[in-house]
Amino acid sequence: MSSRDYILKRAKANKPEAIALPKIDVSVFDDSRNILSEFTLKVETAGGNVFEATSDDDVISKVKSMFPDGKVNFSTLKHTKNFNTLNIEKINKPHDLEDLDVLVLESSFGVAENGAIWVADSQLPMRVLPFIAKHLVLVLNKDSIVTFMHQAYKKLSSNDTDFGVFISGPSKTADIEQSLVIGAHGALSLSVFLKEN
Amino acid sequence: MSHSKAATIFNKDEKKVNWHDKALWFVRHKRDKSAHSVKGWEELRNLGHGIKAHTLSNLDTYLIQFEENAIKNGVQVHWAADADEHNKIVQSILKAHNAKKVVKSKSMLTEECHLNPFLEANDIEVIDTDLGERIVQLAKEPPSHIVLPAIHKKKEEVDVLFQEHLGTKPCDGDPQYLTGEARKHLREKFIQADAAITGVNFAVADTGGFVVCTNEGNADMGVHLAPVHIACMGIEKLIPKQEHLGVFLRLLGRSATGQHITTYSSHFKKPRNGAKMHIVIVDNGRTEQLSRPDFRASLHCIRCGACMNTCPIYRRSGGHSYDSTIPGPIGSILSPGKDLKKHSTLPFASTLCGSCSDVCPVKIDIHTQLYKWRQIITKETPQPFIKKTSMKMMGNIFSKPSQFDKVGKVARWSLRNLPKGMINSKPNVWGKARDLPLGPKESFEDWYKKRNKDEQ
Ligand code: SF4
Repeated sequence: MSSRDYILKRAKANKPEAIALPKIDVSVFDDSRNILSEFTLKVETAGGNVFEATSDDDVISKVKSMFPDGKVNFSTLKHTKNFNTLNIEKINKPHDLEDLDVLVLESSFGVAENGAIWVADSQLPMRVLPFIAKHLVLVLNKDSIVTFMHQAYKKLSSNDTDFGVFISGPSKTADIEQSLVIGAHGALSLSVFLKEN
Repeated sequence: MSHSKAATIFNKDEKKVNWHDKALWFVRHKRDKSAHSVKGWEELRNLGHGIKAHTLSNLDTYLIQFEENAIKNGVQVHWAADADEHNKIVQSILKAHNAKKVVKSKSMLTEECHLNPFLEANDIEVIDTDLGERIVQLAKEPPSHIVLPAIHKKKEEVDVLFQEHLGTKPCDGDPQYLTGEARKHLREKFIQADAAITGVNFAVADTGGFVVCTNEGNADMGVHLAPVHIACMGIEKLIPKQEHLGVFLRLLGRSATGQHITTYSSHFKKPRNGAKMHIVIVDNGRTEQLSRPDFRASLHCIRCGACMNTCPIYRRSGGHSYDSTIPGPIGSILSPGKDLKKHSTLPFASTLCGSCSDVCPVKIDIHTQLYKWRQIITKETPQPFIKKTSMKMMGNIFSKPSQFDKVGKVARWSLRNLPKGMINSKPNVWGKARDLPLGPKESFEDWYKKRNKDEQ
C-alpha cells in the first residue's frame, strides 16, 4: 500500500464521529472602535509609521524627502516613472533586486485590528520585492480598511491570488535575549500612506 | 534521563534560570495584554477548538480535497508515513533539482524528523534562517522552545558563537549589532540557495493553499529567491476553508508573543513562474494519536508556545530538560504517544495547575491529558522505588481516618519542633530550596469542629 493510502486509511479508521463545523458570528467581536485610529495604532505598535497623502504624486515627493539617499528605487504607483531607477521588466532573476533601497507598492486593503496590509501577486511584479527591499512603503485608500481578519477574508474569498501576504510592520526579531531588533531579513522600515480617494 | 534529572542540570546556574523564568513570564504577560484587548476572545478560542475538532473528524476527506486542489495549483504532493520517508522524499526532490545548498525556515516537523543531520550526511548544506534557529544550529543544539528557539542562550554566548562562526567583533552581546551581522551572513545564503524548505502553519483544504507565518521574513526570502520550494506539513495542519484563517491568524500571534499578528503571513497557492513547489504531507505518529479519544485533541495544537511561557515547570527547567522536539506541557502529552518509555517522566513535569489549558488558543485540555497519561504510565512502566512505596504508604494512611489523624499529629509536631536539618534531610526533596512552613497546632478538622461549636 502506498503511504498516501496508508495515511488516508488510518485517518478514516481512527477519526472520531463527525463533529459539526462551528459558524463564525462576527458580531460577537464588534467593539465599535474607530477603524482609522485603530489601524494607525496597530501599525505603529508593529513598528511602522502612518502618513497621510492627497495623491500618488504627494506620496512620491514625501518618500523622496524621507529617503534622500535611496539610490535604487522602484514604485508600482501610476505616473511615477521618474522615481524608478530600475526597469523591472529587465530584471531576470529576483536576486538582481538585492540593492533595492526604496520600494513603493499599492495595496488593496488593510486590517484595523492588527495593522496588517494585504499585498498580492496582482500588485507585485516579483514576489520577492516587499521582502528584499530595504525600505518598504505601502499605499492604500482610507476607506479600504476593514475591522477584523474575518472581513479581510470575505474580501479575499472571490479573489483568486496565487500568492499574497499580510504585512504588519517592518521585519523584526527578538531572538537574542528577547530584545526587539527591527530589521531582520526583510524590510528595515515600513511606511504606510493613507490616501483619501 | 528523567526530566527532573535534566532539570537539575539546568538549575545549576541559578541566575540564568531566574532570567529564563522572568523572560518567559514577560512573554506570557504580553500575551495577556493583547488577548484581553480582543472583544470575544473566548469565543475566538471556542471557534479555534471547534474548527480543529471538526477537521479531525473529517481528516481523510479534507486531506483528499487539499491534495486535489494543490495538484490543480501546479504543486507536487508527496505523502510520508514516517520521519524516515519524509527525509528521503525531501532528499529525492533536492537530488532531482540538483540542489546542494538549502535554506530552511522554522519547521518543528523537520526537527521532529531530524531532517538536517540526514541531509548533511548526504552532502547537502542546510542553513536554518530564523535567527534563533541559526544560533542553536551554530551551537549544535536543538531549539529549546518552539517559538523562541534560543531563549536558553544569553547574549554573551551568542556573541562568542558569532565571533567563532561568522567572524564578528566582540560586542558584549549587543543584539542590534549581532542581528545585523546575522542578516548579512544569511543574505548571502539566501542568494546562493538552490532550494528553500519551509514549514506550514495552516493548510487550506478548499484552496489547496497554505500559510507560513514569520516575523523575520526569512521564509519568504528563501522561497522567492530559490528555484524550488518544499513545504513540509503534518496532517493536522489542515483547516477546511480560507475564511477559517481569520480565526487562527487572530489567535496565533497574540498567543505566541502578544503581537496582534506576525509581521508576515504569507499565503502560497501556486509556484511563481518558472519555479517548482512541493508539499510533503507527514503522518509520523499522528494517526496513532488520532485513535486515542483521550489524547486526540492534542492534534489541535497550532504551535504558539503559550503553554510553555506560562508553565512554572518549563520556565524553571528549560526546554532541553524535556528531551523531546516539542517541549513543555504540549510536548509532554504528544511525546508519550510516540515513545511511552522514553518520555515516561514528562507528564509528571507539571504541577497540574491548569495554566496551560487556560492560555491555549485552541482550548486543548492539556493538564487533564497530562493527568491521564500519568494513570497510564504508572500502570505500564516501572516507577522509582521511593515514589512507589511512598505512594503506597500515603494510600494506606488516607484510607483510614484514625491513622490519618495520628500521622497528622506527628507531622504537625515534627514541623514545629524538629531541627531544620532534620526536616530538610535528603529524602525530603520538597525541602531542597525552600523552608517548610511551621506546623499548625491543630488540624483542620479540630479547628472546624471548634468553630462549629463556637458558632452554635
Ligand atoms: S498546546 Fe495550545 S498553548 Fe501549547 S503550543 Fe499548542 S496551541 Fe499553543
